[in-house]
Order: sequence, then structure tokens, then C-alpha cells
Amino acid sequence: MAMSKSTNTYNRQNWEDSDFPILCQTCLGDNPYVRMMRDRYGKECKICTRPFTVFRWCPGARMRFKKTEVCQTCAKLKNVCQTCLLDLEYGLPTQVRDSALSLTDDMPKSEVNKEFYIQNMEKQMAASSDGSTAAGALGKTKTHSEMLLRLARTTPYYKRNRPHICSFWVKGECKRGEECPYRHEKPTDPDDPLADQNIKDRYYGVNDPVADKLLKRAAAMPRLEPPEDKSITTLYVGNLGDRIGEKELRDHFYQYGELRSVNVVAKQQYAFVQFTTRTAAELAAERTFNKLIIQGRRLNIKWGRSQARQGALGGGAGEEAEGEDAAPPALEPVPGLPTLPPPPEELHNNFFNLPSTAASIPLPPGQAPPTTGAPIIRPPMPPGQAPPRPPVPPPGGLPIAPPPLGSAMGPRPPGVPPAPPGHLPPLQPPPFFPPHLRAPLRPPPGVRPPAYFPQPPPIPGVGPPPPLTHGIIHYPSQDPTQMGANPDKK
Amino acid sequence: MPKVRRSRKPPPEGWELIEPTLEELDQKMREAETESHEGKRKVESLWPIFRIHHQRSRYIYDLFYRRKAISRELYDYCLKEKIADQNLIAKWRKQGYENLCCLRCIQARDTNFGTNCVCRVPKSKLEEGKIVECVHCGCRGCSG
Repeated sequence: MAMSKSTNTYNRQNWEDSDFPILCQTCLGDNPYVRMMRDRYGKECKICTRPFTVFRWCPGARMRFKKTEVCQTCAKLKNVCQTCLLDLEYGLPTQVRDSALSLTDDMPKSEVNKEFYIQNMEKQMAASSDGSTAAGALGKTKTHSEMLLRLARTTPYYKRNRPHICSFWVKGECKRGEECPYRHEKPTDPDDPLADQNIKDRYYGVNDPVADKLLKRAAAMPRLEPPEDKSITTLYVGNLGDRIGEKELRDHFYQYGELRSVNVVAKQQYAFVQFTTRTAAELAAERTFNKLIIQGRRLNIKWGRSQARQGALGGGAGEEAEGEDAAPPALEPVPGLPTLPPPPEELHNNFFNLPSTAASIPLPPGQAPPTTGAPIIRPPMPPGQAPPRPPVPPPGGLPIAPPPLGSAMGPRPPGVPPAPPGHLPPLQPPPFFPPHLRAPLRPPPGVRPPAYFPQPPPIPGVGPPPPLTHGIIHYPSQDPTQMGANPDKK
Repeated sequence: MPKVRRSRKPPPEGWELIEPTLEELDQKMREAETESHEGKRKVESLWPIFRIHHQRSRYIYDLFYRRKAISRELYDYCLKEKIADQNLIAKWRKQGYENLCCLRCIQARDTNFGTNCVCRVPKSKLEEGKIVECVHCGCRGCSG
């Protein structure tokens, strides 16, 4: 072997002689019968400057002839097309791919180092792979990137193979007219950063204007930010169509974590999927946003809104819906609820000491304060009732205006708080009013005013609890503080 | 056309009838030879030579085979004096080559894929609206 670099045959055994180029679909063109010209050692590789086998072909009608620009070793090291230097798998510039996969490929760029590096990599490739897998840092990585799949084209982009713009025509000197094989089109703005590309920069993935553009586009892509309110575990699923029901949704979303409920609003074709944990909901949102397709429909995934806003929204809607029905329950009490926390101290004192509690009990709007007409009788608390418990409406539709203890003058437990602020609103006036002053019957929970975001329905397994069981059944999933029902926890 | 007449024999009967036309074509050829290549592509510079050569051979071919206006002797004399291209005329007599532009365009060995020139492709077989101008002689289609 010749050792002088100036000789023609210096390091000749490293010259590449190949039978087939490494090309992407776009560069190859759409003609299945493409004819190629092969020129052994026809040009030097534009990266490693070693002679290599140049292929030249026409990628289709009205396309320009293309040829391979870098040698196959350089192409394999970066897993790029020999002609366009775009990634073979995604069709994206190497800079985009490497930043998405967080690859760092430290290829030497000085002459001797490059020669040595490529020699070693060639040996490595010959020993390890069959040539069909990527070498270099890309071959070692196992990560996948959603961003790459989003950015990648799904079909070949044959416009890239069009002839170049006629430079004579740009100067106004093209005399070939119709026969001119070049494009007679206005050139792109020379100040455009895309006009200044460089094959080495594109190969090494630095200063690539195309990659900058793509990365900017990736940063601007819609993303689903998980809401700050950590109690939100609900996902909105839109564009359901007629055929996707609760079962399909459960079948899909179960893989991300345990579901608390799935509410399908068939009329509006959306559903709410509530998870038991926030992490599951976040995982589901990340995995399904913009890419969940069930039965051929691309579903629209969003986060549910916080329950506090929903409460206000539901209450407002309720008042409109019920009209003069002046007790709009913003929140439906959950069956089997544990005892409420004791009211704040001053309210407690106030409740006991003042003769008229009407002033301190916030009444629903429209309800006349019972200061004059009705004397307030306060029966003693029955001795058997140790824990005071709010009057919980059974969710099965039973009206609760008659006190659940059976007697018409049923005792109201004195420990019943007048609704701690921000918690359950006063559901009903004290039950000792004369009948004409009583609030009308509370609507059953089934006719609750429609809220934009659902509340958890009654757990079917629990059913309507008997009114006298005092908070024995308690599931964590029924705790309103865990369900995001507490508007304080914003 | 040769620069010098090699034959001592006087030209056959009827030469004086075709001579002015041949002189004119000869003059055109000289002009084309001396024409500047400025502003022309590399391949373009030979196109007029090929065209005048084709024109001259075509004139003799038409006179003898189509119009039967000249005698066999005069025709043989023109071929022998290389006023007309014998090989080109031989192609014109074959079916499918009646309008062949030049011999280079059917020289398949000179092309990458062993094919004829693009000007040999019939217009109906070409894609719609494609305008060809072959690199060899500037022919824009000599096959139907």
C-alpha cells in the first residue's frame, strides 16, 4: 500500500465499492423501474473526502437527476440518506433527530482524527452489524421520541427533487425558453436563513437552519399542560361519535390506572374519564393527547376543569333552571359521607347563644328570613345520637324535606353546622318552619342541573344508604376533599 | 462536401442543375463553421453543422428517390464525392427512420443505458407537453 498521501493509490483499500446506494424514499423517487448509473470512485465523499461509488439516477418525470453525495460509511454512521442527508427513519435533519433523542455524536472533524475514527467505525460495523442497522451513537440508543413522529412526513416529499431554479432566467438572460430544463420561478429570498445551508453542518447537525425551523415548529406544537390543581383527575374525551361508549373508553383508559368513573354524555358525544390517582390521569393525558384513535375516530383529549369552578357554574345554572325554586344545591352530598368537621368557633358560639339563629344561618337567596312568623323550636338532642350528622339526602331520589327520623317534628341535631364557609352550602332551611315557609322539596339528585363537568355519580355498589346509618360506610373515593369538590383547595 | 474535387472526370449529366443549390448549402455550411460560439452552450455549437449536413443529404435523396429528377450516375457521383451522406441515406430508406436527424442519435452505444436519443421517441409516447431538444443535433423529434 502506498504510504504517501500524494499518490493516487494512497489507502486505496479503504475506498468504497458498493452495489447499491443508501437512499431515502424521496430521493429514490416514485418510479419502481428507476435506472441508475454507477461510477466507481467517481467523486470524493463530501464528509470524509475518500473516493466512493457515486450513483446517479432520475427520480421521476420532471425531476432533476440526483446523485449520492456522501459515502456509505458516513451515511451509516448517522443513519442518513446518502443524497439528502436526512434521517432514514424519520426524514428529518440530523440536528432535529439528535436533539429529540438527546444524542451526542462526537465525530472528529480534523483530518487525521476523522480518518482514524472512520477506520475504527468501519471495523466495528463490519464486525457487529449486517449493515441494516444504524451505527454510531444512534445505533446504541433505544429511546423513541414522540416529537420525531409528529414532525416526520408520512409521505415522500417529491417536490424536493424538482429541478433547480434557472439562474439565467433569474438574471433575465435565459434564451432556452420552453426547452429550459430548469425551473423558471422566482427564487426564494436570499436573506431567508433557509437559503444558507451547508452540507457539512447538516451532516454534523450544527447550525442547520432547517433544523432550527423544525425545532421551532415542534416547540409551538399544541401540548396538554396538566392543570395546577392537583385534585383534578378527570380527562375530557371529545368527538366520541355514536359507537364509542363507556365500555370502549374503559377498555382503553384502564391501562393507565384505576378508573373512578366514566361519564358518557352521548348527546354531546363527549365523556369524562376520572382516574383515582393524579399520576394515572397525567399518564393517560400524555399518552393519549392528539393521538388516541378508537374505532377510527381521533378522540379529543383535554383536562377536566377544577371542581370549584364547576360548582359555581353548576349553581348558577341551577338557579336559572329552577326559577323560583329557591334552594339551588350547588353540590350534591355524597352518600355515606363521614361527619362534617366542626364549625368554626365563633359560628358555633353564635349558633348556641343567640336566640335567633336566622341571622347567622345564611339562607339561600329568595328565602325570607324566619324572624317573625315562625318561632324556632329547638328540641333536645336525642341521647342515642352521638355523632351529629348532617341531613344527608339519599341519592336515590327520595326527597329529604321530611326529616329522616320519622316524626314530623324530627329533631335537628344541634351540632349541625350552618355550613362552614366554602363547604357544603345550606341545602335547606331549618325544618321547623310552617309548611308555607318551607322550602319546596329538594329536587332529586337525578335532576341536578347539568354541570359542564361531571361529579362522580353515586357509587353503584353502595347504593342509597339507609338514612339512619351514620357515616359508617366511607370510601376514600367518596371523600369530597379528595374528589376535588372542595373549592378551598384551589 | 469535400473541399477539393478528387475526381478528374467531369460531373455527369445534370450537374449544372443541382450545382447552385449545392453551392448555396456549401456557403451556409462555411458560415456555420466560422460562426462564433459565444453565448452558446457547449453542445449547441455543433447543431447547425448537423442541420446543414442533413439538409444537403436530404436534397440529393429527394431528387433521386422521391422526385426521380437526377440520374443514377449523378446520384452515385454525389455519394462518391461525399456531397450526400451515404449512411444517413441508407437509414432513411428503412422503415421508421424516414426522417432521421443524424446518425449520432441512433448510436445506442454512446448512451448510458444503451438507448437511442430522446428525439427518436414518438411524440405520442412522450409525456404531455414535454419539449425535447436533443443534445446531439438539437433535433426536436424526428420520429413521427
